[in-house]
Amino acid sequence: MRRMLLLVLAVIVASLGVVTAAPAGKVTVLCSPNLAWCDAVKAEFPKATGLAFEYVRLSSGEALARLRAERQNPSFDVWFGGTGDPHIVASEEGLTEFVQLKAWNDLRPELREAVGRKYIPLYAGILGWAVNEKLLKEKGLPVPQTWTDLADPRYKGLVAYPNPNTSGTGYTMIATIVQIYGEAQAFDLLKRIHRNVAQYTRSGAAPGELTGRGEVAIGVTFIHDAVDQVLKGFPITYNAARNGTGYEIGGLSLVKATPNRQNALAFMEWALTPAAQSLAGSQGQSYQIPSNSKTPVPSVAPRFQDFKVIKYDFAKYGSVDIRDGLVRRWTREVETLPK
Amino acid sequence: MASVLTVPAVRGAPNVTLLWWGGGTFAGSLLLPWHRPGRDIFAFVPGTTGLALAPSSPVMVAVLVAGLATVLLALLPRPDASRGRLAIVVAGIGSILATGYLVAAGRPLSAGPVVAILGFMSILGTGLALSGVLRVDAFLGGCILWVSVFVLAFILYPLWTVLQASVFVKGRLTLAVVVDTLTSPGFLLINNPGTPRNETAIVLWFGGFVAVLAFAMLLRRGIRRAVVVGLEAGVVGGILAALYLGYGALRNSVLLAVVVGTCATAIGFAFALLAERSQLRTRRLLGPFSILPIITPPFVLGLAMIYMFGRRGFVTYGLFGLSTGIFFGPIGVAVAQILAFAPIAYLVLEGIVQALDAALEEAAETLGASPWYVLRTVIWPLARPGLANAFLLVAIESLADFGNPIILGGGKGFLATEVFYAIIGRFNPNEAAVYGVVLLVMTLSIFLIQRYWLGRRSYVTVTGKPSGARSRALPKPLDYVVTGVFVFWALLTLSLYGSVFMGSVVKLWGFDYSFTLAHLRSLSPQGWNVFWTTTKLSAYAAVPSTLLGFLIGYLVTRTQFPGRSALEFSSMLSFAVPGTVMGIGYILAFNQGTLLLTGTSVILILAFVFRNMPVGIRSGVAAIHQIDRSLEEASTMLRANSALTLRRIVMPLVRPALLSGLVFSFVRAMTAVSQVIFLISPQHNLATTQILSYVEYGSHGRGAALASLLTVFMILVIMALYAVNRRLDMRAAREASIS
Repeated sequence: MRRMLLLVLAVIVASLGVVTAAPAGKVTVLCSPNLAWCDAVKAEFPKATGLAFEYVRLSSGEALARLRAERQNPSFDVWFGGTGDPHIVASEEGLTEFVQLKAWNDLRPELREAVGRKYIPLYAGILGWAVNEKLLKEKGLPVPQTWTDLADPRYKGLVAYPNPNTSGTGYTMIATIVQIYGEAQAFDLLKRIHRNVAQYTRSGAAPGELTGRGEVAIGVTFIHDAVDQVLKGFPITYNAARNGTGYEIGGLSLVKATPNRQNALAFMEWALTPAAQSLAGSQGQSYQIPSNSKTPVPSVAPRFQDFKVIKYDFAKYGSVDIRDGLVRRWTREVETLPK
Repeated sequence: MASVLTVPAVRGAPNVTLLWWGGGTFAGSLLLPWHRPGRDIFAFVPGTTGLALAPSSPVMVAVLVAGLATVLLALLPRPDASRGRLAIVVAGIGSILATGYLVAAGRPLSAGPVVAILGFMSILGTGLALSGVLRVDAFLGGCILWVSVFVLAFILYPLWTVLQASVFVKGRLTLAVVVDTLTSPGFLLINNPGTPRNETAIVLWFGGFVAVLAFAMLLRRGIRRAVVVGLEAGVVGGILAALYLGYGALRNSVLLAVVVGTCATAIGFAFALLAERSQLRTRRLLGPFSILPIITPPFVLGLAMIYMFGRRGFVTYGLFGLSTGIFFGPIGVAVAQILAFAPIAYLVLEGIVQALDAALEEAAETLGASPWYVLRTVIWPLARPGLANAFLLVAIESLADFGNPIILGGGKGFLATEVFYAIIGRFNPNEAAVYGVVLLVMTLSIFLIQRYWLGRRSYVTVTGKPSGARSRALPKPLDYVVTGVFVFWALLTLSLYGSVFMGSVVKLWGFDYSFTLAHLRSLSPQGWNVFWTTTKLSAYAAVPSTLLGFLIGYLVTRTQFPGRSALEFSSMLSFAVPGTVMGIGYILAFNQGTLLLTGTSVILILAFVFRNMPVGIRSGVAAIHQIDRSLEEASTMLRANSALTLRRIVMPLVRPALLSGLVFSFVRAMTAVSQVIFLISPQHNLATTQILSYVEYGSHGRGAALASLLTVFMILVIMALYAVNRRLDMRAAREASIS
């Protein structure tokens, strides 16, 4: 018995040693794009630099919450991907900082100008919706064309969009509708759409998945995520509101208080190289427009000229007060409304 | 007892216990680091040892002096009583100064202060024993204080921070967040602005109507009774009406808890009758089927519900061609929870039904009572405490579960999911704390209602006197009906788990049922790493959790000291409050300053240890009660101290209980969600939360693959336990693990 106990104790102590033996260099990343892309980076980044890559996949709203929670003792070095507005909030709150990287001048100038040195653009993607036309046909319903169409009572229980509390995609949708219709009318519209919503999802790509599986007929999501669903063989099509749709400029930010700045910068430099950016399309099942103009654009990526994209005011809708205010208003007035 | 326990020592001889603890405390605080940089738990910073800190900190000098003073005290020839009193003073000063130093420094603590404070606790315990203040020996005195420190730091302090955060916002005492949260329509909304009628008025009118009706009906039996019962009925009627008409997280959660609690308890009771009284062979299947949902995370059933009953579900769409979202919402959540939690009710009630004395029923029948009358006047009163207990447990589990609401809830708010969004989505700890307090209050009120309903009657049937009657058979028709229900339930459970296994090896559930290993392969590397981390952390946590639980069990059954029942109550508290509340408590209490632990593996281990410790307490208490005290007394007579007695006499006798406690602590840690979802970090992710995020981010196949892996592993662990220890009383172990 005593020998057994000693043995057990020895094993425990030994494995504790293994736990604490950290690799020589590593970078810990909040990863907001889809899992496949994060996994691809995890596989490729160590090959390119010799540094280890650890990540947690969190949607952008959640990632911002996590940074706020760990303001004093950040456990992450870099925030990789995710919609831009929370990146701007984080930057305004002093959680992240803008750094001038070597590849800065290679980045697409229109993206650089739009975000105004708050964070580093990583990619751009257009908001739209995935449509399960088979399900719509079964119900004898037309494909929606505008944001107002989503409020048509015939779509009851057939719409999904992401919860703006957790998802940057969800916030992009709300900010887009506010920019098109004005706040008062926008919330009126959101309340009417609410009656049709089957589910508010935690992540931005999930509505596309729900549409693909036929749980809902219309899922508001970024079009590049819908493209991914189409390529995977789901019976869906994608579309965007004819009367204007929003877009995102995915971000890359350095966590300000990180003690691991050197490795963090090494990762960020790498993340902007064409080799790293083309991982998104080749392995990461993500078909955005990459920010580095030297990176080849995936052939299936949705192009800006094909959609009516609004002039999204990133500075305004990324500011702390406006964003927190809209999310709060949505949570109180829309989400909780009886259907 | 005390006179037997205090080993007579030669007057004035050096006290070895004090010598060791004094020397250890001194050396530990001198040589071990007091601080660490950030989250690096095992970092050794030479600049923060007591030796390095002493020149600049008079408090540190005093702490070191207190350690040295203990050594001197142990060596100086003094009578025990006065040596004890001095030890109390020295250790008291030492521990207060060490704590004060840490609070003032506000930097994350390292090994030094842990050794120092626990060392002073041992010295204090020894002092209390020597001086005769506590009627225990030095070992048990130290144990009591150690356990108290743990319970204070890892159960009461986190709960306190929840209460505090609900009213203290940015350092100011304010009720703003409480009012704001409780008046938000997301919390509770009775009057729907979308309908022309006024629901609040309907609720009030209905409540009033029920009250008047009850009052009128009972008026003949006396005015006082009529008023009391009338008021009660009115309140219950009003609440029911509000639940029926209302909206919001509170209403959803309460309705869910009531429905799930009632259904699961009813099913559990039916199965318990079946297990004890059925004539059919199927009753043997109850064991394996009832354990399956307990050893897997509850939301696995939620995932399976989507597979089987979703809009493209195998049953709803595949077999019946229905395109319905009906199970996507509270109904689906309720079904998943009933399936997941009915076994808990069954395990509680099995013992109750077993204890029913058939002789009482026979006596009633002999006196001419109809079966219905026997049920109403004999079985019902005896089963009531068990039913109430089962209901309480299931209701708490339902309140705390958020896997199912988040997967299946269709965007409907529940209290647990609101907590989740407040922390994970908005990082508003104050709002989360308010929801936490609401959950606490609800748990407490269910508990009080249970007490009120049971009253103070005695329900003793196990008297030790042999009962003449043999176990009674169920009436044939009833037997068939209940067995039918069970078979349906078993098939449903089996097909749901089966669908998860299938889901992990088919390409795309609902569209393409062709075989693939892609999901299982995609678990590498991340899924496997997470699985391994979970197993490792759960295994680390199981040992201290069981030992600590057993120790507390021993202390509360075998020793007398002031605050004993408070200790018992607080250590069971971590089990009784919903896991979500403990989760917020941990993130609030251990997110900064001296006790910074978030983002480390240690906080997960601690969460597991203190969440599952009551499993050890329950099985420990049950096992220790069966041991005759005279065995321990004989050991003490032969001059063994209590440490030796515990190790050589008690532990070997309760080994089966310890072993099963160990396994169930492990299983509960592997399948925990509500508490740990707030505490995971990149390096320390857990299988359950990983499955949840796979499912939520749409990778159902991968989620199913990891869930299958977890389920198979848990089944293997339980089978190994059976194989290793056949004699083990499995039922007792399982009961201990849930009640």
